[in-house]
Amino acid sequence: MTEPLFPQPTGTMGRPYRRYEAHEKVNGTATYASDVRLAGTAHAYLLASKIGRGRIEAFDLTAALAVPGVVDILTHETVGGQIRQTPSLYTGGYAADSVRPLGSADVAYWGQPVALVVADSYEAAREAAQKIDVAYAVAEAASSFDSGGAEHSELEQHALRVGDFDGAFAAAPFKIDAHYSTPVQHHNAMELFATQCVWDGDRLTVYEPGQYLNNIKYGLAEQLGIDPERIRVVNAYVGGAFGAKGFLTQRTALVALAARRVGRPVKLVATREQGFFLSAYRAETRHHVQLAADQEGRLLAHRHEGWELTSRADLLAFGGNGMTVRLYACPNIESRVNVARVDRSTPGFMRGPAEVPYAFALETALDELAYAAGLDPVELRRINDTDVEPVGGLPYTSRSLMQCFDAAGAAFGWPDRTAEPGSMRDGDWRVGWGCAAAFYPAYAASSSARVRLHADGRVHVASGGHELGQGMYTMMAQVAAERLGVPMDRVSVSLGDTDLPPAIVAGGSSSTTSVAPAIMAACDAIRRRLGLDEGSQGDVVAAMVASGTGMVEEYAETRAHGEAPDTMRRLHRGQAAPSGGIHLEDRVQFALGAQFVEVRIHARTREIRVPRAVGAFAAGRIINPRTAHGQLVGGMIWGISSALMEHTDIDPRNAGYINANLADYLLPVNADIGTVQAIMVPEVDDLVSPAGVKGVGEIGTVGTAAAISNAVHHAIGKRLRDLPLRIEHILEDI
Amino acid sequence: MTDTHDTNAPPSESRRRFLIGSVVTGAAPLMVRGGEAEAADQPAAQAVREPVTVQLDVNGRTHRLDLDVRVTLLDALREEIGLTGAKKGCDHGQCGACTVLVDGRRELSCLTLAVAAQGRDIVTIEGLEGAGDELHPMKQAFIDHDAFQCGYCTPGQILSAVGCVREGHAGSADEIREYMSGNICRCAAYPNIVAAISDASRRMGG
Ligand code: FES
Ligand code: FES
Repeated sequence: MTEPLFPQPTGTMGRPYRRYEAHEKVNGTATYASDVRLAGTAHAYLLASKIGRGRIEAFDLTAALAVPGVVDILTHETVGGQIRQTPSLYTGGYAADSVRPLGSADVAYWGQPVALVVADSYEAAREAAQKIDVAYAVAEAASSFDSGGAEHSELEQHALRVGDFDGAFAAAPFKIDAHYSTPVQHHNAMELFATQCVWDGDRLTVYEPGQYLNNIKYGLAEQLGIDPERIRVVNAYVGGAFGAKGFLTQRTALVALAARRVGRPVKLVATREQGFFLSAYRAETRHHVQLAADQEGRLLAHRHEGWELTSRADLLAFGGNGMTVRLYACPNIESRVNVARVDRSTPGFMRGPAEVPYAFALETALDELAYAAGLDPVELRRINDTDVEPVGGLPYTSRSLMQCFDAAGAAFGWPDRTAEPGSMRDGDWRVGWGCAAAFYPAYAASSSARVRLHADGRVHVASGGHELGQGMYTMMAQVAAERLGVPMDRVSVSLGDTDLPPAIVAGGSSSTTSVAPAIMAACDAIRRRLGLDEGSQGDVVAAMVASGTGMVEEYAETRAHGEAPDTMRRLHRGQAAPSGGIHLEDRVQFALGAQFVEVRIHARTREIRVPRAVGAFAAGRIINPRTAHGQLVGGMIWGISSALMEHTDIDPRNAGYINANLADYLLPVNADIGTVQAIMVPEVDDLVSPAGVKGVGEIGTVGTAAAISNAVHHAIGKRLRDLPLRIEHILEDI
Repeated sequence: MTDTHDTNAPPSESRRRFLIGSVVTGAAPLMVRGGEAEAADQPAAQAVREPVTVQLDVNGRTHRLDLDVRVTLLDALREEIGLTGAKKGCDHGQCGACTVLVDGRRELSCLTLAVAAQGRDIVTIEGLEGAGDELHPMKQAFIDHDAFQCGYCTPGQILSAVGCVREGHAGSADEIREYMSGNICRCAAYPNIVAAISDASRRMGG
């Protein structure tokens, strides 16, 4: 077991180099945003609203201001109009939500920042924040789907109809008609939401963990009403993100403004609880799935209606059924998406935002259909496999779904399974084996990079991308080393700085797909400058020496397939977004996979364990099997966790969260996790990107929950359709 | 309706309590709350804010600091001494990111007041060294087995792992899983963490 757990490279895979920044991380010298030390720093503490909706009638700051060391308190009254409204991401702007920071006396949700205290010490700032007296006029807050004040509507743009669903469903011999739900979940990256701001005259530097630093830069410039070129955002390491650090939250402008007001650097490290409200989250969803099949198991009808939840301030929905109805061949299709607007903070992207909940519904329903039709669940997928998506008839650029099922099934030992629920036992343990498909759209975006080659063979690669733990430094070094034919240890990398050539958001599993081509293009340009053929193995360093050149530097931009002509201009303003998946006119592109899990349920305690999980994933070229393996295994563990543990509990009285801390919001610890195996199925796809990469950041999390619910059914014969699956749901059933 | 309280929910009985050495100050409320605030606001609270001189022995060096007595060991290390390897993941004893070695045992520095750490031998990730120029075997094993992704939990994992081996709790994969369950890794590098500790344990003669 001490063998490294990642596979040795096969096929087109790159080499499993150790992480570029490994020494910094094990020595504690990697500088995360809150680790940057600035002389004379004042410390900030946020005060968050403790009502779900209403108005602030008055602040009494007397006691707070009397705390020794307090230097400033920002409230909507003391800030006035100093922070401008910037539109949200969902209306063409930058902000993660549409609530202007300290913009008015109105409270839109529980946990909204209502004051920021600045003091000489953290202890004084915290004490003063606790001594602020806020008088609220409380209004009733709608907390979720069934609340009286929720506003319900259907989103027409997500509606789809192919063939005659009603007729086909009515006539079919085998059918499933079931409802599913998934809960509120929070990313809870280990790194807290920290921000440090320091002004030097009219120039502002921001240290903040981000997945899209240019988004922060340009959005903040709008909020502060200053020239974006005066703002620099720096962050060399992000302590986990998973979607929570994608976009401009309310805190950044508050800290920047506070630093300007007090004339000192200001540091905010939001508490763990505040993190539950400061950024986006995965909102609860509901699903109605209807499937019908003929005698052979071929799908005849597929209908998926989804209900999503958003804030009163921002209308957004993910509509993952646009993908799920395109996964399998089927002649009669309908899909609809409804949204409820309530008094909560704005949700957003969390690892597999559309895919995780919609896959849970579809892939559980398919298992139910397999049982109804008397088919093996893997065979049902094989029967309905397709190279062409059934809605628009567009081809998949590549599709290795069944190769994944076969590889993972063989490694798991699936042929040894007996289909009858409850038929596999081990003493007091009821054993269940389940499987499900995984999918994630292959997204790509336009990006840029700069590569410099020195005559002594040193190479420097720069792109304003982001290291979240996915292995960005390593990937950038590796792509340049391979393309230029120099050893890895001669390559240095800069990222995480808005002064560097802009890169796309580290989201949508698209960083590598997007940035690698720009690096390759810059390397190729260097080869051309040196008179070498692009594809040649010619020695670049020898060519440098022969030409008497001291240093060559090239900047390159690459545009992703199907991108609009203004994409580069948008990239340089922090507004470009990845595209792909089902959003192209000529094709669809997906990474695909298969998840197999063993569940054990104790007959006396009802404890549910997952001793082993095997996933196989085909995601185009894998540049570094070591870092990719970490992403996939981490994703699968996220999937196990989303099925069995994670659930943010809403207090219906005030739309707040009850368990906003790491003891009550259950996350897996080491003892919760058994054997997790991720197989990388070789796949060549030169269409998705010049790098041939589809991305592996999220797909590991997709489908795991369905595999687990299917395994629970296999273990005890009970269908659980609402996540998370917990002991209390199976008390009666063994 | 008025609101004068911090929004932090009180830490509940944690599933991850078996970092026993750490509960030095865990039970004592650090924050003045509710009704007590008025009474405590007078002389006692003033005294709380009066800086006291604290002497901390960290990584073989002695630091004299003038601190608010409410400063935790974690904040003293990070904000005063500049050893930012110890990380804040919750400040409530729920995640393990702030783990350091105190007198050779793993402790949560967010639940330890700096004043209570005086006269004790503190080792942070920056001070965990191997023989000669080599990395400490636990650090090397974490690199070899890719036992991290974002790296934020890593200093805490490594120091906790050293404690785990020294306590004699690294005998099997299951034992490692159990005794490393006070350190959350949200990137979920758990299988590789277990492999790294198992490997390092052998190299450390554990
Ligand atoms: S920061 Fe100390 S346990 Fe989380
Ligand atoms: S490596 Fe990211 S939390 Fe452990």
